[in-house]
Amino acid sequence: MQTAALGEMRSARRRRFVERLDVMEVLYRVYLAAIFGAIGLAVLASWVEEAPATARAVADMRDHGPAVLGLAVALAVLMGMRSGARGGPLAIEAAEVQYVLLAPIDRGVTLRPAALRQLRIAVLAGAVLGAAIGNFVFRRLPGSPVEWIACLGLFGALLPPCTLSAALLASGRRLRPAVATAIGAGLLAWTLADLLLGSTTSPATLVGEIATLPLPGGGPVALAGLGLGLAIALALGWFGLRSVGRIALEAARRRAALTAELRFSASVQDLRTVVLLRRQLASERPRRRPWIRLRTAVSSRYPVWRRGWQSFLRWPLARLARVAAIGVAAGAATAGAWSGISLLFVLPGALLMVAALDLVEPLAQEADHPTRRELLPVAAATLIQRHLVPSFAAMASVLLIATLAALAFGASATAAGVGAVVLFPTALVLVCCAAFSATNDPYAYVLTPQLGYAQSAAPLVIAVVAAGAPVLAAREVARHGGPAVSAAAGVEIVMLLLAVAMAWWIGKRMADQTAVVAS
Amino acid sequence: MVDWKTHGRPDRRGGLLTTKVQPQTDPSPILAARGLGRRYDGFMALGSFSLELRAGELVALVGPNGAGKTTFLTLAAGLLEPSSGTIAIAGELAGTIPARRALSYLPDTPVFYEDLSLGEHLAYVAALHGVADEGARAAQLLERLGLEEWENSLPSEFSHGMRQKASIALALVRPFSALLADEPFDGLDPPSREVLFELLAEARQEGAAVVVSTHRPDVIAAASRCVGIRDGRLAYDGPPEADALGEFFEH
Repeated sequence: MQTAALGEMRSARRRRFVERLDVMEVLYRVYLAAIFGAIGLAVLASWVEEAPATARAVADMRDHGPAVLGLAVALAVLMGMRSGARGGPLAIEAAEVQYVLLAPIDRGVTLRPAALRQLRIAVLAGAVLGAAIGNFVFRRLPGSPVEWIACLGLFGALLPPCTLSAALLASGRRLRPAVATAIGAGLLAWTLADLLLGSTTSPATLVGEIATLPLPGGGPVALAGLGLGLAIALALGWFGLRSVGRIALEAARRRAALTAELRFSASVQDLRTVVLLRRQLASERPRRRPWIRLRTAVSSRYPVWRRGWQSFLRWPLARLARVAAIGVAAGAATAGAWSGISLLFVLPGALLMVAALDLVEPLAQEADHPTRRELLPVAAATLIQRHLVPSFAAMASVLLIATLAALAFGASATAAGVGAVVLFPTALVLVCCAAFSATNDPYAYVLTPQLGYAQSAAPLVIAVVAAGAPVLAAREVARHGGPAVSAAAGVEIVMLLLAVAMAWWIGKRMADQTAVVAS
Repeated sequence: MVDWKTHGRPDRRGGLLTTKVQPQTDPSPILAARGLGRRYDGFMALGSFSLELRAGELVALVGPNGAGKTTFLTLAAGLLEPSSGTIAIAGELAGTIPARRALSYLPDTPVFYEDLSLGEHLAYVAALHGVADEGARAAQLLERLGLEEWENSLPSEFSHGMRQKASIALALVRPFSALLADEPFDGLDPPSREVLFELLAEARQEGAAVVVSTHRPDVIAAASRCVGIRDGRLAYDGPPEADALGEFFEH
């Protein structure tokens, strides 16, 4: 009877939800998504080179492709494990916890439909994306279009569920964060060993075999790998679904409250609140003891500089690792873009913007409390602009990691020179973009939402351009035998002017805000 | 277990009891906490806490802010898991299906489905607890709490006090052997407080163990037993006598 009541009420709520939907609004959104999707695909297609890959490149891909893709799978599992250890991936309504999960009904029965729904959406989205990538890949690699679209579609369908299933497993088995991270990191290390040794032993590499099956030279080993990979991914999903009923209610309640706020903040493009809530969701708290204690005598003459570094030196290990990993990934993407895959120029800016949002935390906290700021004997604009300095220094360190990573991933000496030139100006632009984003008033354009969208999107777009354009210009000049470093420097002058303008604008915004508070 | 189908029909006031039911004399405790402890990131919210509650008791759970009252209640409800020790409801570990069947938890902050009316909430919660026809009981509760006109309203239309009263109705619409209420009198007007007193007394008379976390002297005075928590430890357990409690609060 209880289960029937549950089913009936959920159906009724779904029906009510559908009844309340504005059909024209939904159709309009579908129409917009279709148009922008088509434009995006056309742009991507125009950026992908259609020259067939060389025999050596194909052989390399055959040997190392599964492990490289396996790294993506292992990373997905690691992320899922960490999310699951913190109570993910299900976001259950607070009322559902209070009334359904405290009712005398098997929690597996009540939670499995929600978990299955998430898995279904993930499978579908992954399959579509994988098939779309397959549609580009067959133009450069041997193998029929159908094979590539099918195999990459299948790989895409399995990748997101790996994250979800790992999260379900970790939350259902109540793994401690350290244990979950160790399991995920172990899989990552095993897959990395596969990549270095050219072997196929890790479960993640076996899943990666699925995506490279159309390449010649695989034979029965690749087929066996495909079978095993598929079995591993499905087993992970099955075990995840089986253990869903054992999730900790404490984590579910906490997550329910935070995700509700997170959705609301995302819906009003309040990126600052999204960042804060995401940290709470990930249980990212400052360390009680800083990694290093600053010497008072030296740093007290520059209190804002000191305050900034006090914040960074209390970062939890997870945030430090994330920002360092972002630096490495941005470097790898830049190296890939330098070698010819222009599409990758979009990635470094987007990735580094995430790191920059962490790095402007001291500034953002100052912006969060206008009343406190007003009590200080310093002009608001000056104070906020001083806060940019420690964030800029820390961002330059991240860009240094990115430059070194680009070199490690095979970028040339010329590219290293370009990296040295763009490092400081790009760091300044990125920090200004993040500061602009963190000091946005999400309710400033409530009546003109289009302006609000533009205000939210502008920092990200500028960050992407600032990190990509100088390197893209340098690459094009280098290809034609010109001075690549000078080309990058030319673009950077424009970027520096932009950064100065943004810093001025942020200061003005703070001064205006303080004037409003004072009045 | 309080079961209105067997114990009564609404009287003229919409009251529950037309048949007086004697408190149960079963000696086994309805709630038994043994060496219960709970830590949050190294902070001890509750430590070595032991307590037994029997049928028919109305216990006032008192203590300063942050003493561990809500932690104890949420541990008993199965929403939190103990770091040490055990807590059993009707002989079963908290959080298990039989324990969930026996225990009703009224949280300090009411929670609702924003797309269900109050009447739908009551029907849903009752059905989840295996009650096929909750109509009479739901109608009684709504009438006594002054919510009958709001039966078809969504929670977003409720004031703070009405949300609290709706949450009380949801906790009482289903059968239970133990009722844990976290600051249930907060936000209620005097007539509603009076009704809640009556409802808690009726639940107690029908054999349920009732625990009310509170700071209100009138609730403490009405309780059959008072349990004081300080710094996560049991600091007082006895009758709600002013002298003894005064000493507890002086600390």
